[in-house]
This record gives sequence, structure tokens and C-alpha cells, in this order.
Amino acid sequence: MFDNFIFLSSAALAIGGALSVVVSTNLMHSCIYLLMSLIGVSGLYVTLSADFLAATQLVVYVGGVVILMLFAIMLTAGSDNKTVNRFGIVKIPPMGNLKTYIMSLLTAGVMGCSVLKMIMNINQTTKLGELPPYSTTVEQIGTLLVTDHVLAFEISSVLLLGALVGAAVIARPRLENEVTK
Amino acid sequence: MNSSVVSFFAEAPPYQMAVAKLTEILGFDSSVLMAFVTFFLASFVVVNVMALVGGLGTYAERKISADLQMRLGPNRVGPFGLLQFLADGVKMILKEDIIPRDADRFLFIIAPLFCLGGVFATLAVLPFSSGFTLTHLNIGVFYLLGVSSLVGVGIFLGGFSSNSKWSMLGGMRGASQIISYEVPVTLSIITIVILSGSLAFDKVIGIQGGLPHQWFFLHNPFTLISFFVFFISALAETNRAPFDLPEAESELVSGYHTEYTGMRFAFFALAEYIEVFVVCGVAVALYLGGYQVPFHLSELHFLHDTLGVPMAPARMLGQILEIGSFVTKTIALYYVVIWIRWTLPRLRVDQLMTLCWKYLTPISLFNLVGAAFWMWAFKGESVWTLLANLTNSVGGGH
Repeated sequence: MFDNFIFLSSAALAIGGALSVVVSTNLMHSCIYLLMSLIGVSGLYVTLSADFLAATQLVVYVGGVVILMLFAIMLTAGSDNKTVNRFGIVKIPPMGNLKTYIMSLLTAGVMGCSVLKMIMNINQTTKLGELPPYSTTVEQIGTLLVTDHVLAFEISSVLLLGALVGAAVIARPRLENEVTK
Repeated sequence: MNSSVVSFFAEAPPYQMAVAKLTEILGFDSSVLMAFVTFFLASFVVVNVMALVGGLGTYAERKISADLQMRLGPNRVGPFGLLQFLADGVKMILKEDIIPRDADRFLFIIAPLFCLGGVFATLAVLPFSSGFTLTHLNIGVFYLLGVSSLVGVGIFLGGFSSNSKWSMLGGMRGASQIISYEVPVTLSIITIVILSGSLAFDKVIGIQGGLPHQWFFLHNPFTLISFFVFFISALAETNRAPFDLPEAESELVSGYHTEYTGMRFAFFALAEYIEVFVVCGVAVALYLGGYQVPFHLSELHFLHDTLGVPMAPARMLGQILEIGSFVTKTIALYYVVIWIRWTLPRLRVDQLMTLCWKYLTPISLFNLVGAAFWMWAFKGESVWTLLANLTNSVGGGH
């Protein structure tokens, strides 16, 4: 009962948030709905007893990515709040031309097929699945990260170092003679 | 399953009797229902008590600032002006609720709720005592870092949605400050996590003892520095002076909540005061021994076996002693936070970022490496244990 309650509420939050992201005409509101959807996904992780993943979802997305998105939207969008179509989305109601429609149809077809392939298995097994008993995942993830997956771990840190160096290069103050060159 | 306030109560006979009785009346296994109700009641009590703490925080702030400036402070409502925060609350509710015409209504309404929600979510893992913590998550510290970042979103949205330049600047400052200072906070917390080997608050506290030399604060030189880094960064994360740039009165009127009135403004203020309490509580749990009581006074076998207190009161007495230990240390830190606010002048924005990225972050990185080295070299023994061993061996204690 308790698990079902958590599952249903977080699934509703995830799906409702995702739908609202698409339906909303205001980019800033979309971002907040996305935040709700991500919190819902984190709740789904909790019901699957992936506690570390759920907390990581919160730390990375709520604390980092969404705030970054909000900053980006705020800095790129105009501050004029009266017109609805300040992002040029509502100006063209169908939002696209023949090319984009064909592309979207193809994408929807591919995605629908893959979802169907996943759902097909439901009919083949009638037995209800049992989740394994709850156990902590932090120690297991930590051990795996520095033993089996140490290469991926190191490569991701090289990626982060690259991003850091890139940011430093972009943000560093230019010297006088560099500008004149 | 994680232990929680429900599992603490479930050990008591009256709880089991109530479950049996309910099962008899309702005709189905009501242990889940009972757990749900207990959780609800416990959360209700904790949230309300913390709201009261937030309210008293505003009173303490005004009274202590008055002391530091040789004024009297609030002294009209109730004894020593203690009920001033209730009067303020009533005033806030009666105020007209103004939403600016050009504001983004949806975001304007939701922003204070993000702040308050983020702070209240952290209360789930705040370790008041070994039994009365709402839940002992085994990723408690990490969870707390995650949900507390909702406050940053709330502050940013409050600034953006007001559609005012002052609010906007305050919101941007708030968000950038909170994101930046999360780095030294997290790094100093990891220092403690390395030494204790766990992300759960109860394990971190369990390793420490009741007396100061058993705390992580005085465990080794690196944790000593790490405590100060954590405390300074936590001040910045909760937007307290000398880091209260998001609401700098002299430049930004009132920063991100300039356009807010009535209860919506009160939500922001309440969230700030409760967050200060939570942050002080985390500092106490990680560095100052948490709810540990000196000389094992709160332990069941001492109260029950040695003193002969009956079982049920002994359990309760132990918990109350632990809550007392935790709250005393937390309020002492709370006093320091207010004291700092009314002593130091506000930093400039560039000084704030310099302090974070050029001083605190490298220092906490150095601490992290140092703590790891300490674990490797001395097997995580504290300075005092090493000194005792040294004196023993020098004194010829074979």
C-alpha cells in the first residue's frame, strides 16, 4: 500500500510534469514542470530501491541542471512579459512545415515500435514480479566504480577536466595585446 | 529497511497493542496503516515545532542584535517580548496579498513554496535523537544536499518572477552564490564521510562520542579546518550575513523578495530561519558529536540496569537527553550565526566569489586529501588516541 502510494504519486508527477513541459507555452514554466517531472523520476527510483540514484537525480538535476537551464533561459529571453509569443512558439500555431511533420512521424513510429516491443513481454508472463528485499546501494556502487568500472570513472573525470579547462579559457580576462592582435 | 521513528515506536508494547486492536476492529493487517499514521503525526509535530523554532529565530535575531547594539529590542508583546513573532505572524496574515501586475503569476506563487518545501524536506533526515529522527536514510547526508538545492531554485524564481530589476539581481546573486558554495560544503562533508565511512547520519554520530575530544571537530587537524570551511560556506548557502548579498538592503532594496508581501514574504523569511537551524544541526551532527550524551548517560543499559529506571520511561528519558544534547549544541551555533551577522560587514560580490573559489574550495580539497592521508597513515585514530599511545609507550607502559 505504502509502496503503491509512492509509486502512483511519483509516476503521476513524472508523467504530468512531462506532459506540461510539452503543452506549456512559456519556456520558464516548462522548465519548472521539467523540475517536477525529474522529482517524480527520482521518486520512481526510490520505489525501485535505488536510493543512491534517486539522491543523485536530485543533486544533479534539481541543484545543477535546472538552475543552469533557468539561467540560460533568463539570459537569452527578453524581459517583456506581456506578449505570449515572446519565444516565437505561439506565433506559428502548427509549429513547423512538411519536413518537420515527416520527421516527427518517423520519430513517433520508431519510438512507438520500441515501446511496443518492450510492452509485448507483459502478455507472455502472467506471473507478478517480486522486487528483491531492500538493501543499500551506496557501498556496491562505490566498490564497482573503483574496481570493474574504473576506466569509465577515470574517462569521465578527464571529460570534466576538459570542460573545466574550456570554461577557464572562455572566461579568462583577455590581455591588452591579445585584443589588438 | 531503514530504521525510523516508526521502528522506534514499534518496539514499544502499547504500539503493538494498538496495531493488534486496529487489526481486530478493521479486519485487515493494519501495521502499514499504523506506520502511515505514526509517520504523519511525527512529521506534523516536527514541521510545526520547526516552524516555531523559525519564529523564535526571528525573535532571537532581533533581541541579540539589540543586545549587540545596546538597544532593548522587542519587549512589548508577552514576557520579554517573547510573543513578538506571533504578533508579526498575525500582521503578515492580515496584510494585503499583492501580486505585481507584470509578474509571472504562476512562478510568483510557487517560488516561496519551493523555498519552504526544500527546507522542510531536509527535516526528514535531521538527527534529533537516535529514536526521534524521522528516518535514518543510509544516504542521509547526500539526500540533504539534494533537497536543500530546491531553496536555490526558489530564490532564483522569486527574483525572476517579480519582474523587477532589484529582485532579478537578488535572485541571480542568490542562485550563483548557492551553487558556488555548494562545492566547499560538499567537499568538507566528504572529509567527514571519509573518516566515518558512511553517508548515514546515525553512523557518523555513532562513531563520535559525547565528550569534545571524541568529536570529529577535534579528531585531527584536517577536520578542525574542515569545520570552519563548512561553517563559513553554510553561512553563504543560507544567505546569512556577511554573505546576505541576495537581499542587500543598501543596494537592492530587499533583493529577491522585494515584491513579496504578507505570508508569501513570511514563507521566505521562515524558510531562511529554519534553514539556519537545519544547517547548524548538520554541523552539530557531523562535527560536534550530534545527539551523543557524555558518559553514555542516555544509553538504555545505564538507565535501566544501573539506575533501575523502568523500561518504558528509560527509553523516553534517553531520547529526551539526546534531544537536549542536540538542541543545546545547535542553538549555541545558531547564536554564533546571529552574532556573526551583527558583527561583520557585508562582502562585495567579487569578494564573495573570490573567497569561495580561491580560498575555501582549495582549502577543502587540501583537507580532503589530508583526511584520506590520515585514514591511510593512522587508521583513522584521533589525535588524542595517538597522543595517549605515544605517552604510554614513552612512559614505558609495555
